Parts: sequence; structure tokens; C-alpha cells
Amino acid sequence: MTAWSWLCRCRRARDWRTTGETRNDKDMNIAVCVKQIPDPADPPGLDEATGNLDRSGKLIMDDSDSYGVEMALQLVEQAGGGEVTLVSMAPRGETSGLRTALAMGAAKAVLVTDEALAGSDALSTAKVLARAVARVNPDLVVMATESTDGYTGTTPVQVAELMGWPSVTFAKKISIQEGKAVVQRQTEAGYDEVECPLPAVVTVTAGVVEPRYPSFKGIMAAKSKPVDQLGVSDLGLLADSVGSQGARQQVASVEDAPVREAGAVVVDEGEAHQDIVRFLEELKVI
Amino acid sequence: MDFEETSEHQMLREAVSSIAAKYGHAYFVDQARSGGKVAELWGELAKAGYIGVGIPEQWGGGGMGIYELSIVCEELAAQGTPILLLVVSPAVNATLIERFGTDDQRSRWLPRFADGSMKMAFAITEPDAGSNSHNISTAATKDGDVYRLNGTKYYISGCDEAEAVLVVARTGADEQTGRGKLSLFVVDLDAPGVTYTPIPVEMTAPEKQFTVFFDNVEVPASRLLGAEHEGLREVFFGLNPERIMTSAIGVGIGRYALSRASEYARNRSVWGMPIGSHQAVSHPLAKAKIELEQAKLMLQKAAWAYDREKNGADGSRGSGVDTGEAANMAKYAGAEAAITCLDAAIQTHGGNGMASEYGLATLMGNARLLRTAPVSREMILNFVAQHSLDLPKGY
Ligand SMILES: Cc1cc2nc3c(=O)[nH]c(=O)nc-3n(C[C@H](O)[C@H](O)[C@H](O)COP(=O)(O)OP(=O)(O)OC[C@H]3O[C@@H](n4cnc5c(N)ncnc54)[C@H](O)[C@@H]3O)c2cc1C
Ligand SMILES: Cc1cc2nc3c(=O)[nH]c(=O)nc-3n(C[C@H](O)[C@H](O)[C@H](O)COP(=O)(O)OP(=O)(O)OC[C@H]3O[C@@H](n4cnc5c(N)ncnc54)[C@H](O)[C@@H]3O)c2cc1C
Repeated sequence: MTAWSWLCRCRRARDWRTTGETRNDKDMNIAVCVKQIPDPADPPGLDEATGNLDRSGKLIMDDSDSYGVEMALQLVEQAGGGEVTLVSMAPRGETSGLRTALAMGAAKAVLVTDEALAGSDALSTAKVLARAVARVNPDLVVMATESTDGYTGTTPVQVAELMGWPSVTFAKKISIQEGKAVVQRQTEAGYDEVECPLPAVVTVTAGVVEPRYPSFKGIMAAKSKPVDQLGVSDLGLLADSVGSQGARQQVASVEDAPVREAGAVVVDEGEAHQDIVRFLEELKVI
Repeated sequence: MDFEETSEHQMLREAVSSIAAKYGHAYFVDQARSGGKVAELWGELAKAGYIGVGIPEQWGGGGMGIYELSIVCEELAAQGTPILLLVVSPAVNATLIERFGTDDQRSRWLPRFADGSMKMAFAITEPDAGSNSHNISTAATKDGDVYRLNGTKYYISGCDEAEAVLVVARTGADEQTGRGKLSLFVVDLDAPGVTYTPIPVEMTAPEKQFTVFFDNVEVPASRLLGAEHEGLREVFFGLNPERIMTSAIGVGIGRYALSRASEYARNRSVWGMPIGSHQAVSHPLAKAKIELEQAKLMLQKAAWAYDREKNGADGSRGSGVDTGEAANMAKYAGAEAAITCLDAAIQTHGGNGMASEYGLATLMGNARLLRTAPVSREMILNFVAQHSLDLPKGY
């Protein structure tokens, strides 16, 4: 099935669902993609053979995604109805990173976990996430601009492309007005205001909202919130289209980051300002 | 047998620790030195329901136990922001009110412990009756519908931020032994006849200590907590939570000190190698770490046993663990670990150990206090000698 025909099917499915259900028009149902990553405070090594990150330890919610979760919760609160559903792809049925977001207030989660996904590249990840998102049938998908561990920053736009939905990146503020998303999109100079129809994929920049702390009641409730665990075949994907088999990206080699060269020490004997000016001129910054 | 905390416990630790980290030790010291309170930190914890984790759900709390409250207490201390009032207000006092209060008393105070909107001080210590509570002389005399309270308490924490104080007072005497018959009262700190003056102590903490004078204070009979003359027996129910929470502060301070010390010892280099590679530096830290982990295990065991016993799991004795013994041992170990860890951390930092900037010496008073209050190390050793080892009592 091509991406396009699959997409048409899911569009139709969406229409069917929206007419068949008693959904309140105002409700906002938002899918937030949440990546669960090895704790950056205690970074794991790389698998020498594949160059992949060792994900065998405990995984936590990527901090970058906490902003999207917060924004989504706020949008649902503003709409006065609807819910936040988390979507994640992670090894070994890992849910500890999801519990944090469930404790913050997300209603449920879809977790895709399958041995066939080992070695997935960003496109495979996007294929998986897109199908999982389609099951949620949201009005809006929120993702982070880039993850903390892989940080290619390419997954969200690939998800949007596969869904055939518009994508707006680098959001610092999202509001829903008359069924459209109005997004303040960060630029070097300030921000652009972009409007787009829903459903859409919006990526949120780190630090633009203050993620709430889970309340104690939220923490206690998190365990009983549903986490729907799916495998590759549940999503209608072929095992060889994802994972290392389906990956079009390969880690060719891994090298240490170049050590920064020692800086030059200028001893001021009354002339140091000239050395500094010369140095800055060489850098072409003045 | 399982030593792993639940994911809820881990999330609670993370959440409290990130709230506390946002404020940090510098904020704590600034507030303490300027006479301020940690109101913003308390407010944020209260709003998220962390102050009230141990209050039953029926009264608006989190419905969990002392284990969860001790997590809150430990994590705060581990960020350099220990809150002593957690020991008396939601632990000792709420426990006593939940257990011995009338429905009116419970519905009046428990919801406010649950949402953290009220603090209540606790007053047992007197100038002439410290470790010996039988000697308490603050007296409540029945006068028609009310009691009249007269006497002096000292070292009472937090009177300037609390609304009321739970007072242990004498309501009679045993005819044979002459020992006081005690009762518990909740007294408003703004009631006519209540005055208090600060006692300066060498401890950097936002909580201040006070001498409290009760001068013919009229206390309505509705403020008697529990049964008249049964106060001594009743107050014991508040002492295990008190010991557990004190242990948690100690464990937290120990963690705070060791994390700073090990970071410093990895990075500071005076002979061309990190000072942590000298065993004279690393061994005291390793020893402190072992003592800290032992204290933490005892703390967890005591808190777990307390909650089991309270909830009546496995019959009336709950866990089969002697809660009183475990709580006393946890308090002892927590206090000693705090002192050992902080001292090793200060030594590791050389001269910087004494600098305000490094945030270690500022906690010396707080850690040292734990060996004396709320119950002294000697009284714990007395308890273990008599109770656990069945040795004769010498006083
Ligand atoms: C060589 C290689 C091997 C890999 N091996 C594995 C593996 O064994 N197991 C495995 O599970 N993954 C594996 N991955 C997938 C990888 O961890 C990422 O999920 C994927 O490459 C996305 O890239 P990124 O981290 O750069 O995301 P970015 O494009 O930087 O991410 C942007 C945002 O997209 C969302 N997002 C990205 N990934 C996920 C996700 N997995 N779940 C939910 N939301 C997400 C988040 O909101 C994230 O912040 C591998 C990737 C590579 C390149
Ligand atoms: C900062 C601070 C805050 C406090 N907050 C409160 C509070 O909020 N509410 C409250 O009621 N109290 C409070 N206290 C008081 C504290 O609980 C007491 O100081 C403590 O219990 C010791 O009592 P004491 O000072 O009367 O010592 P004492 O009883 O006079 O004891 C003096 C010394 O003799 C030892 N000793 C006494 N009897 C024996 C014995 N039989 N065997 C062996 N050794 C013995 C003690 O261990 C101690 O070392 C606080 C104290 C401080 C310093």
C-alpha cells in the first residue's frame, strides 16, 4: 500500500469516526508524541557493531517533550473538553517515561513496542508514529522540535508528510481559533504568526512554557490510565519496512567529537586590546 | 521481599526534588537570614498535594502514609531546603488529630493540613521537663465549660507561622506516684494570654524557636484532643511519625552533602590529580555513604512498618516489625548519618567547606540539631537498651 492510499483510508476512517461519534465540536483531542530516552544525566554507551545508542537501561521521558505535553494540556483546558493522548515508540514495553506525562494529566497512551523496530531510523520511526497517531484520530499532533538523544529534528515533518497534514515547526504559542491552529512560529528575528487548518502537526520549542509538576493525585492516578501496547503488525506495517531492515539511514562510523583547541593566552602589557581586535578581525566578526 | 520503590514513589521523589531544586539552598539561606519563610516553596508543594500526602482522602489529602510524607521531607532536604515544620505539622499533629480527634475536630483541621493552608506547632518541652515528660508543669485547670491554661513551653518551633499549637499539659496527678496526668489541647496562638518570644539559635533555618507563655488562657473544652488525662499515652502515637520524619531530614541532608562532596572531589585537583583519588579523602566519603544507606534502609523500614501497622494489614501488629524500635533506630541513624556526611563533605572542601557560597557549613546547625531534637540520642539509646535489649532502667 502506498503512503497515499493508506492515507486516504485513514482520512475516510476519520470522517466515518467523526460522524459516528457524539463528539463535542469544541473538544480538542490532541496526540502528543513522547520519546522515551536513556537518562541524559547518566548517558549510556553506543553499541560498537551498529553504532546505535544502548537503550537497554531505564528510559525516561525526553525533557523536550514535556513542553508539548504542557501545551496540549493547556489547549484542552482552554477548549473545555477533549483529552491528551500520548504516542510513543520505545523498546521493551517501556512506560516509565509515559507515566510522568500521564501524571501531568494526559488521559491515555499508545505505545508501539516491537523487536522488529530495533535499529529504526527517523523515517521508520515516523511511519510507526504516523500509524499510531491515525488510530488516535486527533485534531492536533504536538511533537518536540528535536529530541535530546537523536536530535535529527526530522521525525515530526515526516509524520506530517505521511499523514498528509500540514506541519508548523518551532511553535512558541499555539491557539485554536475557529477550528484552525494559529501558531506563533519562532524565527531569528522574532516570530511569524501562521494559521493552518486542522488536523495538523505542530512542533514545540523547548522552554516556551513551564511544564506543570504532576500533582500527588495525578501521580496516583497515572498507574490506572490505559496504555494501549501495539506491535508492528497491529499497525499494518511489514516488519521489514521498519527497524534495521527498513532503515535507509545507517550509522557509517562513530567518532569522538574533536577536542576543542586550547585558547591563546594574551598577557596584557598595555597592548592586549590590539591583539583582541586582531583576533576578532580574523574571525570576521568585526 | 522487595526493596524497590513503586513508580509512584519514584515520581513523587522526582517531582518534589525538581520543585525544591528550583528554589535551592541559596533561597533557603536567604530566607533564613532575612527572617523570611519558605512560603513560595511551601505553597507550591501544598498546591500539588505533597504536604497532604498522608492525610486520608476523605479529608482532602493524598490518602497515603508516612512513607510518602517522609519521601517529601527527604527530597526537600536533599536539595538543601529542609523544612522542619513538616515534622510537627502534617506528621505529629495531623496524626494525633486523625487518631484522637472528634469528627468536628477532624473536619475542622484535617482538610487544612491536607491543602497545607494551616501550620500547627507542637509544644511538649518545658524548661524544667525536657526529656522527662512526667514532670510537665504547664497546667490546664477545668473551670466550668473551659480549661484555664498556665505555664511555659520552650524551643517551640514555628509559632510565628503557625495558627495554633498542640499543647501537652497537666490536668491532674497520679495520687500514688505524683506523676502528672497529661492531656492534649489545641490552642490558638492569637488567643488572649498567649505570648511568645524568640530564642536565638545557631541554625540557618526559616523556622524560628520560641518560648511560649500561657497566662490564664481560656481554652474551650472543644479544644481538648482525645480523652482527659490520657495525653501521655496518646502523644506516643505522634512520636513514631516524628522520629521517622526527623530521620528523613537527616538522610536528605546526608545525600545533599555527599553529592556536593563527591562532585568536588572528582574535580578539585591540588597535586595534579583529583583530591578524590587520595584515600584520606575518599574513604571518609565512602564510609559516610555506607552509613547514609544504612540510615535510609532503616528509615524506609520504619515508615513502611508504621503504615502497615496503621492500616492494620496482616492483623493488628501489621508487619511483624516493631515500629517503635524501627522508628527510634531510624531517627538515631538518620541524625548520625547527616552529621557524618556533612562533616566529611566540609573536610573534602578544604577551606571552601566553611564558605557560605558552598552551602555546606550553613547546614551544620541543622544537622547537629537532629542529634538532640526532637528526642535526644541518649533517650533513644535508653529506649533501645530497655526495650530491645531488656536492660534495667536507671532513671
Ligand atoms: C541508527 C538508529 C538506530 C535506532 N535504533 C532504535 C531502536 O533500537 N529502538 C527504538 O525504539 N528506536 C531506535 N531508533 C530511533 C530513534 O531513537 C528515533 O526515534 C528516531 O530516529 C527519531 O530521531 P530523533 O531522535 O532524531 O528524533 P527528532 O526528529 O529529533 O525528534 C523530534 C520529536 O519527534 C518525536 N519523536 C521522535 N522519536 C520518537 C519516538 N520514538 N516516540 C515518540 N515520539 C518520538 C518527539 O516529540 C521528538 O522530540 C534508532 C535511530 C537510529 C538513527
Ligand atoms: C531547634 C530546636 C527546635 C525544637 N523544637 C521543639 C518543638 O517544636 N516542640 C517541642 O516541644 N520541643 C522542641 N525542641 C526541644 C527538644 O525536643 C528538646 O530540647 C530535646 O527533647 C531535649 O530536651 P532538653 O533540651 O530539655 O534536654 P534535657 O532533658 O535537659 O537533657 C539534657 C541532656 O541530658 C541527657 N539526658 C537527659 N535525661 C537522660 C537520661 N535519663 N539518660 C541519659 N541522658 C539523659 C539528654 O540526652 C541531653 O543530652 C526543640 C529544640 C531545638 C533545639
